[in-house]
Amino acid sequence: MSSAESTVKTKSLRQAMAGLHTWGGLLPSWLLFVILFGGSIACFDKELEVWMRPALHPVGETTLSLDQVSAWVQKQAPKPPHAIWMRPPDERQPYWYAGYEPQNELEPFVSFTLDPQTGEVLPKTLGGNFWFTLHYNLFGGMLGMYIVAIAGMFMLVALVSGIIIHRRIFKDFFTLRPDANGQRAWLDAHNLFGVVGLPFHLLIAYTGLAIFVTFYMPAGLKVGYKGDIEKMFYEVQGQFGREELKRKTDHAASIDKLVLDAKRRWAASGEGGTETGWISVHHPGDKAAVVDIRRYDRSRVVDFQWIMSYDATTGAFLHEQKPYKPGYTAYAWLTNVHMAQFGGAIVRWLYLGLGLMGCAMVVGGLQVWLRKREAKGGWGIGFVRAMNGAVIGGLPIASLGLLYGNRLIPPNVALRDHWEAYTFIAVWIAVALWAVARRNSGRVGRDLFAVAAVWALGLPALDVLTGQPGALSAAIARGDWRVPGIDLAVFAAGLLCAKMAWWPRVATPAPEKARSKKRERRELVEEGV
Amino acid sequence: MLFLAFGLNYLGMTALCLAMSRHHKAVLNSAPSSARTRGLRVVGALLLALAMALNIIELTADMGIITGLLQLMLAGLAVGLLMAWRSRWVLPLGGLLPLGGLLALLA
Repeated sequence: MSSAESTVKTKSLRQAMAGLHTWGGLLPSWLLFVILFGGSIACFDKELEVWMRPALHPVGETTLSLDQVSAWVQKQAPKPPHAIWMRPPDERQPYWYAGYEPQNELEPFVSFTLDPQTGEVLPKTLGGNFWFTLHYNLFGGMLGMYIVAIAGMFMLVALVSGIIIHRRIFKDFFTLRPDANGQRAWLDAHNLFGVVGLPFHLLIAYTGLAIFVTFYMPAGLKVGYKGDIEKMFYEVQGQFGREELKRKTDHAASIDKLVLDAKRRWAASGEGGTETGWISVHHPGDKAAVVDIRRYDRSRVVDFQWIMSYDATTGAFLHEQKPYKPGYTAYAWLTNVHMAQFGGAIVRWLYLGLGLMGCAMVVGGLQVWLRKREAKGGWGIGFVRAMNGAVIGGLPIASLGLLYGNRLIPPNVALRDHWEAYTFIAVWIAVALWAVARRNSGRVGRDLFAVAAVWALGLPALDVLTGQPGALSAAIARGDWRVPGIDLAVFAAGLLCAKMAWWPRVATPAPEKARSKKRERRELVEEGV
Repeated sequence: MLFLAFGLNYLGMTALCLAMSRHHKAVLNSAPSSARTRGLRVVGALLLALAMALNIIELTADMGIITGLLQLMLAGLAVGLLMAWRSRWVLPLGGLLPLGGLLALLA
């Protein structure tokens, strides 16, 4: 028997899991940071969208009707579209959002953002959606979604193996000793962020995987629905749909009147309000066209839209969506808990805080890995240092760069959103090159904190200088904190970065106490990670 | 009501934290007696239960359980970070946060 085999046998579960946690955690950690950071920022996607559209800042009532917008969207499509979608302005999204699904399923959804008063198309921007897309597919389409799923599974593996190897979960629950040696202090931090936020980390990783389960585990769907995902969702959600007749008609019922009818039907239930969400017309211009009117109700976790369906030509009431069955309710609960669209701003802030706690957990783990190995040296150290600077410093700074690009690129530039993306990418590449070139200088962290501080502290000034004159003070005066809130939150983050860059806390190592042999051995397994 | 609930979550987490000898020593300069440890744990658990109840009353069980748990975790983080860098603030905040929540509720 080889000696390697006998070592494997004598390894305890905890030691075996330590290896898994170290490497299964390290390798996807930068990817996980991108996903966690993107998701945390995406909690405020609609608010960022408004921030990135300064033309909207004196928010007013819309003067456009659904019929006007519907006619306008249909004119934009070169060929009769499969469906058109419209979202009237509301308090959180004070602009019209409208677009069409081309007949060819492979072509992407074409969308427009319209000024609520004039109906003019607003200048293009990546908007708050940018961090959302980064979060769920890294702008990599289906492949990106699978990469995110693999990272999510590694996060679950790292969490469970982390629970197994951490033998002092309760004893060290509130323990963070910044004055201990570097590795110990970072291990404390990693443990604190991981353990205190554990229910959230587990829930968010698991529910994140659940959202696209139909893509990740499609076998049942392939058999039961011959791979037709849309049909499956229509059926389990109890939606109404019908085939196109290929018979044109010029007549169309007024969608605005249909909305009034839908509101009357919703109001009969007495709860959840009668605010409309997305409104769609499938096969517009065809005799079989259907108008679906969805309710927007965020007063409960499960987002049941109670769709009312009408014949688009005659306006006849066709179908009312029935409440979800228990199985689909369970799935909807999981996905909606992840998406945090319920409960308003307070829920968004809580998710942001805990999401950033997840980011801090990842950073803490990376630092533990480095501190343990730095004394010994090796090629991996330079790599991990470079990646830390490039990703953990790069993404937040590039995100700030995107906000600057958004406000500084003139509104009439063609392909404006592309230029925003170039700004984001250019900033990220610059930070990454810097981090790689100076990876062993020991100063990358402070350099990048300094850059982040300058940009973050400057953001409110940028908002004032490039926004509508007086918009910021007017928003504060009417108690609308969404745009000023972003400025303030980023400014506060900038203060923290400035502190880390220019006044870093000098660790004053506690005098080394004579520690008993027993105590040292007890810490070995965790510190061995 | 949610502000008050967060304050109670913070106070409850502080009580559970002080029930641990190391943290009790760091804040109050002495090890807790075993009766005190037990007392702090009971009080802490009651406060956390009360905070959860407030969340549920405010947002219904549907959403309140989630927001209650999220608040609990953030309160735990706050206590942990304060213990590390500003341990003298831990106790005063335990009074100020619930009081602020109460005032916000009455205002």
